[in-house]
Amino acid sequence: MSANESLMLALPKGRILGEVMPLVRRAGLEPEPAFDDPDSRQLRFATNRSEIGLIRVRSFDVATFVAFGAAQLGVAGNDVLMEFDYPEIYAPLDLKVGRCRLAVAEPREMVAGDDPARWSHVRVATKYPEITRRHFAARGVQAECIKLSGAMELAPRLGLCRRIVDLVSTGQTLKANGLVEVEHIADVSARLVVNRAALKTRPEEIGTWIERFREAVDGA
Amino acid sequence: MNDAPSKALLPAGLSDLLPPQAQHEAETVEALLASCRAHGYERVKPPLVEFEEGLAGGEATFDVGRSFRMMDPVSQRMMGVRADMTMQIARIATTRLAKAPRPVRLCYAGEVLRVQGTQLSPERQFCQVGAELIGAAQAAAGDAEVVLLAAEALNAIGITELSIDLTLPTLVPAVADGLGIADPVAGRLRAALDRKDAAAVAAIEDETKARGLFRALLAAAGPADRALAAIAKLKLPKPAAEEAKRLAEVVELIVAARPDLRLTVDPVENRGFEYHTGVTFTIFAQGVRGELGGGGRYLALGGAEGGEPATGFTLFTNVLLRALATPEAARRVFVPLEVARAEAARLRAEGWITVAGLMPAKDAAAEARRLGCGHVYRDGQVKTVG
Repeated sequence: MSANESLMLALPKGRILGEVMPLVRRAGLEPEPAFDDPDSRQLRFATNRSEIGLIRVRSFDVATFVAFGAAQLGVAGNDVLMEFDYPEIYAPLDLKVGRCRLAVAEPREMVAGDDPARWSHVRVATKYPEITRRHFAARGVQAECIKLSGAMELAPRLGLCRRIVDLVSTGQTLKANGLVEVEHIADVSARLVVNRAALKTRPEEIGTWIERFREAVDGA
Repeated sequence: MNDAPSKALLPAGLSDLLPPQAQHEAETVEALLASCRAHGYERVKPPLVEFEEGLAGGEATFDVGRSFRMMDPVSQRMMGVRADMTMQIARIATTRLAKAPRPVRLCYAGEVLRVQGTQLSPERQFCQVGAELIGAAQAAAGDAEVVLLAAEALNAIGITELSIDLTLPTLVPAVADGLGIADPVAGRLRAALDRKDAAAVAAIEDETKARGLFRALLAAAGPADRALAAIAKLKLPKPAAEEAKRLAEVVELIVAARPDLRLTVDPVENRGFEYHTGVTFTIFAQGVRGELGGGGRYLALGGAEGGEPATGFTLFTNVLLRALATPEAARRVFVPLEVARAEAARLRAEGWITVAGLMPAKDAAAEARRLGCGHVYRDGQVKTVG
């Protein structure tokens, strides 16, 4: 591989992509038209700059692509970064979009009779088993995690388990499912992430992109 | 479906090295050690297993979590399989070689075993090659010597386009101390800096009197000349400023000796340098996933009170082999059964690898091809087989 090998930026599908794209464009990157075509099956996109390409993958996969150096740059929420805790990922810039929080929720009727200080073991449905385990372990509670990929809010209603750990933005989904937020775990926002080895071996190029995104965020 | 595991299955992270890779690894290790030897580093060979206090290097508990441990049925004490050889070399230098003139220059190569691999290198067993300079006072020349030696050894085996990241794991604690930041805030700050999580660093700074100092250190990381200039502009507490000055001296020496090396400086990097006490470094190569090795200044404990200043480097052959192309196959010649032994010996003396036929072969050329030989010995001559 030579120094002028092109860079790859991994973007997450779904929720935060719409908020991130204006920043990407302000940083001077315009993807090819297929990027905005919902019918396109393309996964990898060229941009107006020949030295950098884009891929669009699931939000958890952004972290994996960047950690292994398959993409040198990426956008990922700190929920994903906390869950994997990859030592090969740096998060040098808060993009200040995609804001929400990670919280523990339980059914409204449970809250009154529940004393968290007495727990020694809880069963939790979540997309974030590592964060959940760490959060509860820090206060001396063993968390048994049931890994789900979505629709966590259904789990308490259907008796899968009584508590969930999930992202909350407005709280509407929780409310609609009779759940209330009982503990705050972390504030979440999208971060620009970079691969460690790429930053060390190509500091000028990667540094320039971090600066462009910083200007895009400051100008927002 | 047959669910019984195959006999070929090895435990996770362990593997067989086959031809030609096994030979390639041995040659790579030998070439690395040859560079060390040429600079006056003498080879030592510690045992694979020793009492766990020896492996932990005195007070440091660094290796305890990643070594396989077992009880010695003879002494009834706990032993560990080495997960890193550096502390063994330091133990040798400070005990058995305590009377050897300082500084002591030692090099080594050996297999290490770890409880777990890492995400980028799942191998649990691999060969570590390195050199240690022990008993060298806090001289920048010593720090520069090991960095330059590591670079020279890597160049000698054909790894070029090196990128060396110089770090100072003592800097952030010194700055935090100077500002009166204590645990648990210091711990959270440390973790945020390790991830270069600018948002978390900013949030923690707001609780302290740091006034953007850590953010500035974080932003300073980059190409060495620029980073050092940025660090020089910061108002650091006195002990931290002295650390930074030493780093600048080391960079100057390295640049003077090898202006072609790409040097970066990262003033907040700490991971992997838990027991280090001064200038440290990590070696990357363009296009190679993960780090090739690293090293830096530490205290060799075990002998004299307070330990001896030491520095050194370590390379990991599993990563090196991934970075190197497999060498061209050696020149092998098939020698049919009827050829006299003396003639085969003469071929070997000429540098050929001879593969002897054990039974008369009807078609010697076909037999040569079947056995992976590019040549056959016929009518007193070495001939190429198509």
